[in-house]
Amino acid sequence: MTFIISLAVSIVFGAGAYLVLQRNLIRVVIGVILISNAANLFIVAAGIMRGRPPIYPLPEGQVVSDPLVQAMALTAIVIGSSVAALLLALSYRLYTSHSTIDIEDISRAEAEDAEALDRGEPIRRRRRGGGA
Amino acid sequence: MAALAFAAALYGWLAGGGSVDVPWAPTLDLRFAVELDGLAVLYSLLATGIGFLVVVYSSRYIPLHLHHEHRPPGDAVRFHFFILMFMGSMVGLAMAQDLILIFLFWDLTAIASYYLIGYDAHQEESRFSALMALLVTGIIAVLLLIGALVFYAAYGTFSVPELAGLTEPGLLLIVAGGLIAVAGLAKSAQVPFQFWLPRAMAAPTPVSAYLHSAAMVAAGVLLIGRVYPLLQKSEFLLGALTAIGVGSIIVGGLIALTRDVLKQLLAYSTISQYGYVVFMFGMGGKYGAMGASFYVIAHALAKSALFLTAGAVTEATGEKQLSRLGGLARPMPLLAASSGAAAAGLAALPLSIGFFKDEVLFASALQRGPVFAGLALMAATLTLAYTWRFWTGIFLGERRGEARGIPVALVLPITVLGVLVLVGGVFVSPFEELARAAGEVSYAAAIEDVELAYHLDARPENLLALATFALGALVVLSRPVWGGVVAAFARLGERVGPERVYRAGLKELNDFSTWVHQVEVRDTRGRVAAILVPAGILVGLGLVATGTSGVYRFGGFVTEDFPLLLALIGATVASVATCFVRKHVTLVLVISAAGFSIAVSYAFFGAPDVALVAVLVETLITLILLGTLKLIPFEVLRRGARIPVQYATAKVLVAVLAGGFMMALSWATLSQTTTEENAAEGLLELTPEAHGKDAVTVILADFRGLDTMGEISVVALVLLGVATLLWRGRLP
Repeated sequence: MTFIISLAVSIVFGAGAYLVLQRNLIRVVIGVILISNAANLFIVAAGIMRGRPPIYPLPEGQVVSDPLVQAMALTAIVIGSSVAALLLALSYRLYTSHSTIDIEDISRAEAEDAEALDRGEPIRRRRRGGGA
Repeated sequence: MAALAFAAALYGWLAGGGSVDVPWAPTLDLRFAVELDGLAVLYSLLATGIGFLVVVYSSRYIPLHLHHEHRPPGDAVRFHFFILMFMGSMVGLAMAQDLILIFLFWDLTAIASYYLIGYDAHQEESRFSALMALLVTGIIAVLLLIGALVFYAAYGTFSVPELAGLTEPGLLLIVAGGLIAVAGLAKSAQVPFQFWLPRAMAAPTPVSAYLHSAAMVAAGVLLIGRVYPLLQKSEFLLGALTAIGVGSIIVGGLIALTRDVLKQLLAYSTISQYGYVVFMFGMGGKYGAMGASFYVIAHALAKSALFLTAGAVTEATGEKQLSRLGGLARPMPLLAASSGAAAAGLAALPLSIGFFKDEVLFASALQRGPVFAGLALMAATLTLAYTWRFWTGIFLGERRGEARGIPVALVLPITVLGVLVLVGGVFVSPFEELARAAGEVSYAAAIEDVELAYHLDARPENLLALATFALGALVVLSRPVWGGVVAAFARLGERVGPERVYRAGLKELNDFSTWVHQVEVRDTRGRVAAILVPAGILVGLGLVATGTSGVYRFGGFVTEDFPLLLALIGATVASVATCFVRKHVTLVLVISAAGFSIAVSYAFFGAPDVALVAVLVETLITLILLGTLKLIPFEVLRRGARIPVQYATAKVLVAVLAGGFMMALSWATLSQTTTEENAAEGLLELTPEAHGKDAVTVILADFRGLDTMGEISVVALVLLGVATLLWRGRLP
């Protein structure tokens, strides 16, 4: 079972790594979610014992799961979800300022802005529609 | 404030000093050890006393300066903040007894000096000079840290007095002591680090007067004086100090004779003067230790007055060059007299404090032999010559240009300093006591039979002084003969001097930084790789270092594990599917399928709490994802739905590599669960005592309650961040 769990962790992680390398911001965020899922799974699996839930009254003569890793994983899950929410909000913010969710397009636009600044020109505003 | 600090330092001295020694970071053996000993008193008095006069001076000078530079008057606050910060760290540096503490205050002075030298930040010259001063003194300060760590590794303490008792002459002392001494020499602008000081003259004049006479450059010799009990055990280090001192005297003195810009002349003079101090430390003995301290006092009084004079003269006439000035004694008699007194002090004329500084210089040189006496004579002659050139060039001779009236506050501090120089020439004993107390700290023994007084007889010191006056006059008169040679020497220094090395080094560093920047932030892959690749390499090294061969276990499989297996298969399949899905909504559904499968698998791990939270969180993430998709128009999403084929193979390769890596890591970890010191069982046993039934909730709410609080604050911060991003980023 150890092998199977490790395999599952590594496949989820690998899929996340693949998505993080994509150009689409939404895919990148989903990649981060997958990676954090893999990490959480790993933490829970790293418990010393695996068995019944660690809730009183404890079952007689049966192995109880390690409560410590579970508490850690709980914290990690909540923080991971917060990070995902923040990343999504950032992606949306990038969309509003650049009208795209493609990282390459955004990088290119930023490089152009930097060059324009070097030349002393004002930055071209890319907001759709008029007004601030 | 500065005056108060001065009074406090004076009182502290008269009251016999005091010390504070509290553990600061005991695990690292760091102590916050400060003591107001002789050395500390001397430099604190200098820093606060001259600092006070400089602040008085700049209260008038800085508004005028800002007016000339067309800057708002409010900028004066910045000046005073940094000059007081400098003063504070200088006093701290003077009192610190612990090498790490010294390093901290050392860097604080460097930071303050950076802002002070670069005060006219709109001028590129200013910024360049400030950066140069910071880099030269700051980077070399790392040597001080290294030296301190070497001492700590060998003797287990950072405390200078303790080290003084422990160290033995040998290679270790030469290396570590040498490193510390080099840091001090760089700060004191000694050869070959002298080039930053003339550059730093880009600072406003009060800064030059303060930093480059009494404070920043003095910090270097303060450090040498502080660790002198260690340095003096090594003949090699003393020899090196002597050589560097002589080199600085010659380079500084000769170039000072050629400079035309007032402050440049004074800057090279400072290099030369601190060369004296280092020279005296190098010659060693009680004369050397006490003489160096006395020299610092005399020089600081005289040189800060001359710097302030330069500022006042420039303020009055608008000229910065000697060749465009002259004959100012008539319109500005008080200034001429005050700075004349200071110049006499620098040139070591009788009836000024300077006479005694040369007396102890000659005394300590004579102690070491005729060669040293000859060097001392040459040094004193050079000083006399360029000081003469400075003062007469401004105040005597043909009158050139007009002189406007200047505020009293620009003259009064110079007068105070000039009077002090003259008082010191008559009643030398307070200064002598100060220097003796400081010298005793450096020498690490009592200094008793060094007396400073006028002796009207033909003792060697007096003969050397007379020879100095004669030779000085000769040098002044024979200027047409040697002028060309010295100018050629100065040009040679500009052509091949150490400043070139600095510039080349800076350029290389810049190129390197640009290259790293290019690699790292060229695109997202670069950014991700710049973090993940080193992290992966580190983990890989850890894996290799732990030695995992033969520990991999397949692990048993029982029928009860079957549901867990199913859940894991679900998660895996869904995860792999996310890589191929194109439509965004499908993508969200697939990722939530993966998330829910993992949540279910938690349940089969015997972790119902985790499973419940995971289900909740997955639901939330799915909703947030769908909400984000709703906010972004369909057109934009459709454009991004395509999975580009560019670098596709490389991405797959990287992903497979990452997965394989994770496999090796997690399998190795999970195969080696240790059962020693079983924390889990302890937690389970404690759970009823915390009046809880569920061990996990008890851990979260009680045993590790602070963690949970941190977690909650993270969530709150994220909420704030998300709200801000959505509100600010709303499309008009």
